[in-house]
Amino acid sequence: MSVVSRIQALGRSALALARGSRDLAALFLSTLRGVARGRRRPGETVAQMYEIGNRSFLFVAVTLGAIGMVMVYQTALQLERITGDLSLVGPEFLSLLVQDFGPTITALMLATRVGAGIAAEVGSMKVTEQIDALRMSGVSPVDYLIVPRLVASLVMTFALAIFGTAIAYGAGGITAYVSYDLNPRMYFDVSQVTLADVGLGAVKTATYGLAIPVISGFCGLRARGSSEGVGRATTEAVIGSSLAVIILNFVISGLGIYGLGLVEP
Amino acid sequence: MPRPAASPRRAPKRRQPGHLAFVFRPLRLRWYDGEVAAIEAKDIYKAFGQASVLEGVDLSVDAGQRLGLIGPAAAGKTVLLKLLAGLDRPDRGSVAVGDKDLASLSEAEIMPIRRRIGMAFQSYALFDFMTVGENVAFPLARAGELDDDTIRARASERLRQVGLAGSEDKMPSELSGGMKKRVGIARATVTEPEILIYDEPTAGLDPVTSAKIYELLAGIQAETGGAVIAVSSDVEPLIEFSDTVAMLYDGRVAYHGAADEIYDAEQALVRQFVRGDLEGPL
Amino acid sequence: MRLSRPISALGRGSLVIAREVGGIAILTAQVARALVPPAMDGRELVRNLYRMGNLSVPIVVLTAFFVGGIMVIQSGVFVERFGATGLVGWGAGYAIFREVGPVLIALMFSGRVGSNNTAELGTMTVTEQLDGLRALAIDPIRYLIVPRVVAMTVALLALTIIGNLVALVGGALFSQLLLDLPPALFYYSLVDNLRPEDLIHGLIKAVVFGLAIALTSCHFGVTVRGGAVGVGRAVNAAVVAAAVSIMVLDFFVTYLVK
Repeated sequence: MSVVSRIQALGRSALALARGSRDLAALFLSTLRGVARGRRRPGETVAQMYEIGNRSFLFVAVTLGAIGMVMVYQTALQLERITGDLSLVGPEFLSLLVQDFGPTITALMLATRVGAGIAAEVGSMKVTEQIDALRMSGVSPVDYLIVPRLVASLVMTFALAIFGTAIAYGAGGITAYVSYDLNPRMYFDVSQVTLADVGLGAVKTATYGLAIPVISGFCGLRARGSSEGVGRATTEAVIGSSLAVIILNFVISGLGIYGLGLVEP
Repeated sequence: MPRPAASPRRAPKRRQPGHLAFVFRPLRLRWYDGEVAAIEAKDIYKAFGQASVLEGVDLSVDAGQRLGLIGPAAAGKTVLLKLLAGLDRPDRGSVAVGDKDLASLSEAEIMPIRRRIGMAFQSYALFDFMTVGENVAFPLARAGELDDDTIRARASERLRQVGLAGSEDKMPSELSGGMKKRVGIARATVTEPEILIYDEPTAGLDPVTSAKIYELLAGIQAETGGAVIAVSSDVEPLIEFSDTVAMLYDGRVAYHGAADEIYDAEQALVRQFVRGDLEGPL
Repeated sequence: MRLSRPISALGRGSLVIAREVGGIAILTAQVARALVPPAMDGRELVRNLYRMGNLSVPIVVLTAFFVGGIMVIQSGVFVERFGATGLVGWGAGYAIFREVGPVLIALMFSGRVGSNNTAELGTMTVTEQLDGLRALAIDPIRYLIVPRVVAMTVALLALTIIGNLVALVGGALFSQLLLDLPPALFYYSLVDNLRPEDLIHGLIKAVVFGLAIALTSCHFGVTVRGGAVGVGRAVNAAVVAAAVSIMVLDFFVTYLVK
């Protein structure tokens, strides 16, 4: 590839990125407007809450349980080698879970399950012209499809983040007891958790809960072609949602801890 | 009842749906003669990325008229239909429905105009999370002008007309391709819109089913009196169904004229296309 | 709700999971048999290595950079609480090499490459291309699946190494920016305390995750049914299965490999 064509390709992808971000922002705004208008299909939000939330509980339980065990195991392994004092493992782990790992890892899991699900569903509707049929019936696809998913995702991400944090904390406690003989009363000490931890965790949870359905719905609405288009949309949704979670975590953690001094000893 | 003398090539010119429609048809034609077109596209340009699809298309249909749109694969027929329905926006040009230009309106402003347009899609586009009955009732329910019982009755009546009486509670996945097409037609026409757009209404259907579909479309049009635009790769039955035919070729309208004259069109490529000759400019 | 309904739902769910796990096991056996003796389409392997490996570098670098930053931001809390500046580099490195690097990069890899692979194989399945290969007397396992499994395993291993390094660079950069900790201190804290086992531990995980992602994504791809809707559903199932496999295998590797 010549230098010129490389630069052209770079410029094209930069333009595509800029246009994509603008469209994504527009979708986010029109979704929020749809939420504010409050005209929703009766029952649809509840159905989506079931689809996004209830059907993710087992998934979140298995993954967050496994990661909780691993994290406590790895941390204790090192602490035992260096200080031999495991008394702070539980309290510190809980504080970290509440303000960061609980919401973030749950959201990463939801980015794959919920993100792929929304993109596959909306994308299939797009390529089979059902989105156009909705519009011909005088229905805004954003109000009809994205708004209930956004509301459901916001509510259920909170529920799942709390659930996931509890599972990871509990599984970690069991690991500490089984592998390191750590007294559960020492581990399950919640006194370290501050209001700031909870606040930061809540802000992260809300942000992830909003970002995942909008990004995935955007990818679904953009699908073109037939089955390969749906596949591409689903892939983009998983990648886009996961990256968004990681970058948003970075930004909110940085702002919360250093910018605002939210979480300080 | 006297029938107009048919030209030899298009022997069974038009299947009459019912005697009432037959009586009113000439009257309506006169009524709308010289009136403003129901829908009119002017100087339409549309490109996707680098690929230019439409380059200066003009097309119009009067109320009570049937326009058949033909052309080779990937000539931009579906693209044009979506522009006419206001589902997509042309890069240049206007799409006039009454005194409104769809090309210059926002999505929210187009919404009420779409109630005057019905569209049946190539891939049926039935909502797979609704029953057949809910699918057909959906546009009526969204308009929010009728009570539930009336809506249900209208939807059932329309389903009966398309030969699917009693399938209200089936899911779209339980239907065959021809049945899905008919549900799609029922849904597009249930609000009795002024403009009806059919994208490949008979694709993938056997000749008998396809003939039944055209009979159905003719019957519905006779009843609502609206303008019809239909696209099909099945050229012959479409020409037979239409009053005027337009052929899209290379992003432009290569022919637009009376349906019965297209077989003897001036342009060699149009003649070759509709006759299916091997020799010619195509 | 009657009691029998949740129980029968549970039973149905277990049957579905058992069928998928069984399918993946059979596919694993088929791939293993096709690899003895190791014969595969070399061009397919190189093409897949490029698509799955090289083209994933940007997303892995981006992810790893921010993950390195997050590790330092989070450890900053402990540094201020315990005054342990000397341990930041080691702490971040330990976590990245053993845990966070392999797991997060595998999750991103599954999102990009695994789901893409499922979509591609799924599209080939619904358009009868797999049957077309069989009709030409070409074994789809040997021709399509084996090169993908090998390419994904090798690519994830390489990407994990790259990602770990990028995460460390990101970590060092943000220690300087946020904690005022010179990169040299970060570096010495890392090399003085980190053991080779920590590196190997993470790389074993990368190989295991690569195999798991490859096998699940291929399995869900070739078993697609029902057009575009089916492909979307299969991709969804594949990424979920891959995420569960990554987390559960992470647990087992952590325990078994010390």
